[in-house]
Amino acid sequence: MTRFFVRRLILIVLTLFVVSIAIFAVTTVLPGDVAQVILGKGATPQDVETLRNELGLNRPAYSQYMGWIGGIVQGDLGDSLYLRRPIAELLQSRLTNSLVLAVFAFFVAIPSAVLVGIWAGTHRDSRTDRVMSTMSMVAISLPEFVTGMLLIVILSSTLHLLPSSSMMLPGTSPLTRPQILIMPALTLTGVIFGYVMRMTRANVIEVLQCNYVRTAILKGLPMQRVILHHVVPNAILPTITIVAASIGWLLGGLIVVEVVFAYPGLGRLLLGAVETRDVPLLQITTLIIAATFTFSNLAADLLCAVLDRRVRLS
Amino acid sequence: MKKEPHSSTPLLELDRLAVTFYTPQGTVHAVRETSLKIQRGEVLGLVGESGCGKSTIAWAIMGYFQSLVRMEGTIRFKGKPFTKMLPSELRGLRGRRIAMVYQDVVSSLNPTMRVGPQLEEVLRENLNMGKQQARHRVIELFENVNLAEPERVGQRYPHELSGGMQQRVVIAMALACDPELLIMDEPTTGLDVTTEATILDLISELRQRVNAGIIWISHNLGIIARIADRIAVMYAGQIVEQAPVKALFRNPSHPYTVGLLNCVPGSTAITEARTKLATIPGTVYDSKQPTTDTCLFEPRCSIAQDSCKSGTPQFFDAGDHHQSRCSYWSDVRPDIWGKNEPVIEAPEQTKAKPLLTVTRLRHFYGREQHRIPFIGPVGLAPVRAVVDANFNVGPKQTVGIVGESGSGKSTVARNVVGLLSRSGGDIHLQGVLLEPRVEKRSRKHRAELGIIFQNPAAALNPKLHVRHAILRSLWKFPKLRGRVARERAAQLLESVGMDASYLGRLPSELSGGQQQRIALAAALAGDPQLIVADEPVSALDVSVQAQVLNLLREEQRNNDISYIFISHDLGVVRYMADEIIVLYAGHIAESGPANSILKPPSHPYTETLLSAIPVPDPEVTPSRIRLDGPVPSLRQIFKGCFFAGRCPRKIGPVCDGVMPPTVANPNSPSHIIYCHIPLEQLSEIQTTSTGL
Repeated sequence: MTRFFVRRLILIVLTLFVVSIAIFAVTTVLPGDVAQVILGKGATPQDVETLRNELGLNRPAYSQYMGWIGGIVQGDLGDSLYLRRPIAELLQSRLTNSLVLAVFAFFVAIPSAVLVGIWAGTHRDSRTDRVMSTMSMVAISLPEFVTGMLLIVILSSTLHLLPSSSMMLPGTSPLTRPQILIMPALTLTGVIFGYVMRMTRANVIEVLQCNYVRTAILKGLPMQRVILHHVVPNAILPTITIVAASIGWLLGGLIVVEVVFAYPGLGRLLLGAVETRDVPLLQITTLIIAATFTFSNLAADLLCAVLDRRVRLS
Repeated sequence: MKKEPHSSTPLLELDRLAVTFYTPQGTVHAVRETSLKIQRGEVLGLVGESGCGKSTIAWAIMGYFQSLVRMEGTIRFKGKPFTKMLPSELRGLRGRRIAMVYQDVVSSLNPTMRVGPQLEEVLRENLNMGKQQARHRVIELFENVNLAEPERVGQRYPHELSGGMQQRVVIAMALACDPELLIMDEPTTGLDVTTEATILDLISELRQRVNAGIIWISHNLGIIARIADRIAVMYAGQIVEQAPVKALFRNPSHPYTVGLLNCVPGSTAITEARTKLATIPGTVYDSKQPTTDTCLFEPRCSIAQDSCKSGTPQFFDAGDHHQSRCSYWSDVRPDIWGKNEPVIEAPEQTKAKPLLTVTRLRHFYGREQHRIPFIGPVGLAPVRAVVDANFNVGPKQTVGIVGESGSGKSTVARNVVGLLSRSGGDIHLQGVLLEPRVEKRSRKHRAELGIIFQNPAAALNPKLHVRHAILRSLWKFPKLRGRVARERAAQLLESVGMDASYLGRLPSELSGGQQQRIALAAALAGDPQLIVADEPVSALDVSVQAQVLNLLREEQRNNDISYIFISHDLGVVRYMADEIIVLYAGHIAESGPANSILKPPSHPYTETLLSAIPVPDPEVTPSRIRLDGPVPSLRQIFKGCFFAGRCPRKIGPVCDGVMPPTVANPNSPSHIIYCHIPLEQLSEIQTTSTGL
């Protein structure tokens, strides 16, 4: 187990290293020039050139990269070129905000999706199963910005139950006004819920056909025990991998949802960085997303290994 | 045991039971009007080919169906019909008073749960035992089924147990609540012969103690002969003959029973000359056909009369609880399917130049792995699947390879045809060195080596017509095109006993035996010198198995082919092979001419294999030489004899410490045994103890 863990950690570091090179390569060939953006259209070429020198943009690419990655390893994330503030400082509140939203959505969507999936799988082809399956299909098909807009139209424009924008005063926590989290979280939940629910349902149906479930039934166990002890533990295993993959969806959705609801999180920061050609900020945020993705996959693999002893961790 | 209230009431009674499935593919009449009785303490053997409804009867008794089904007739447990029982009462029967042991053990245990708790929950739910009490009882149950280390087995997960141990766990589970009726659905199919023998020993021992009625379902008459008191033979969902075991084997009174008995190779004494197997022509009556007012066996029957086509035959009493559903039961003789003709023995070909020479063949799986990536000590040594195997295959000769699963049989086969790339050693075909991998071999070499796999359904592309399987080989090897190729394909199909109309069929439309014929036709298309047949009949029913074996022999005579014939079934190998190689843990234990191998002196491992074969004759008391101890790890390099850890004839530390010498049998110089025991001594113990 430890050996596997160490091995995977080494692999993750390698992956992130490769990702960092890719990010760096892509962002440096990006058209546009941050010095130009900062100084505006009226700047003279000399001013731009001076600023470029000052920002270190004229150094060769490898030296820029080494400086950047060396800083990250030492815990210095660098400064945002456009906002002229340390990135670490910027990230602090944005990361927390996004995390609050993501965790909120995650812990609403996943357990409910798994529960509904188990129920639907064990009551296959019942009316409720059909309704739930159809609805999950709809949820999967609708992109986040459509669901988000729909929710705004229904819950805030028509029913006036919730604020349409989730903007916050700088330096405040979203938890002081939890109602602003509801619509973004619901929007985020939609796709993941549908996806995870359908996968769980399919897994449950498959496990129900297995010989060991037949054994359990013919041992004379009550159906409830069969489902709880024999069906669910086996059906949940492939679901865990799906959940890990859905964290990727969640991150993608996060960017869209934050924009739709004007929620000050990591996604909006990322988008802002793209618009202002703020390369260092863009690089760091992308790297964070990549790291989240790899670590959630590792967590899923470890969890699977703990639950299923057949998985050989080597 | 307390006396049952009505001792005349059978424990279980099926009264004109009929089970019909409604599937998207049509209506399946799985069981047609079957009546059966079973008493407590009795073992009823239920035999028949697959598709005859044996398992359906088991599921009907357990009340477990996953598809739309109609059940007619009555099942009575101790005189009370199931239909008169409440659902809760029925659930109380399952697991508690009626228990079942399943065919496919591996998949019958929950992979994510330790095996101990899987038994404990039965006790706790059905008998309301407490946690501690259940745990103690489980250990007791494990002791009963002779599991080693009963206290620790419960802590393991199913995948950590061997097949034999898994089956013991499932049997222990079935016995947990002292059931009154036990249903065993092919409980030893899929296990190695040696494991099967120990399981059979266990059941014979348990039946004295548990006093339950046992329904034992099997297609293997050898097993049934050993275990059953009474036998019911099923055909097309009906029982065609019922009799006490000795009466049935001594005096079979239904043509179908005679046919089944005939087509088991080696059903008679071991030393008897090999014969062409008499087979039952045709296939099992289609279960989608409705029951007609005729004898359902009539289309395949060799003694059918016109009167068989009108009126369903009733049971005729052949005396002494012996019933046959054949109007002409008194005409049934052992030779109604033709005599098992002796096969002309191929002349000794020791002088002939060998076709294939395998020298010091090695195959290791996996590389050495370090405990910490790239650095650190080596953790896992490679699996030494085949170590230094030497053998020759002569022209027109059949070399049989036997051994249990994991002995390296298939690895040898795959190295010969080049599906695996050998780790060491040489393979020469007609004196020319073969490249390890098939891709590197010349077209000529590829054409000269054919292969037939165990599972024909998996070996044929399910989406392509039969035509393609054969035409592809014809395009590749003889480079035939167009009409010539099509004619040759039809010809090949005819040679394997099928007509050209099958060319347009999909593999799924064919029976297992027909699929294997297609596989053989495709292997023959390249006009090979040698065909490697890897367990070609293991997945087939006995009657079909006999047909395919006959066909293989016939093709050998007609086309001058050699075979490497691999099987775990020594009976089949004995029937097919001129030379036999016995493999154990990747090492050759013994090799030589078939008739010499099967007579003492034999390697102790061969002796165990021979004694494990269930002989389909209840009058024969089987010898009991069983293997103890765990299967050796193939990652180790054996210091002494590879068989020392489990050898029933081990003589001392020399076995563990010194490699066995190569000893040739003086009576048959090409017969080689790798054993420390002097041959005269081996010969002596084996003649006295096994009566070979």
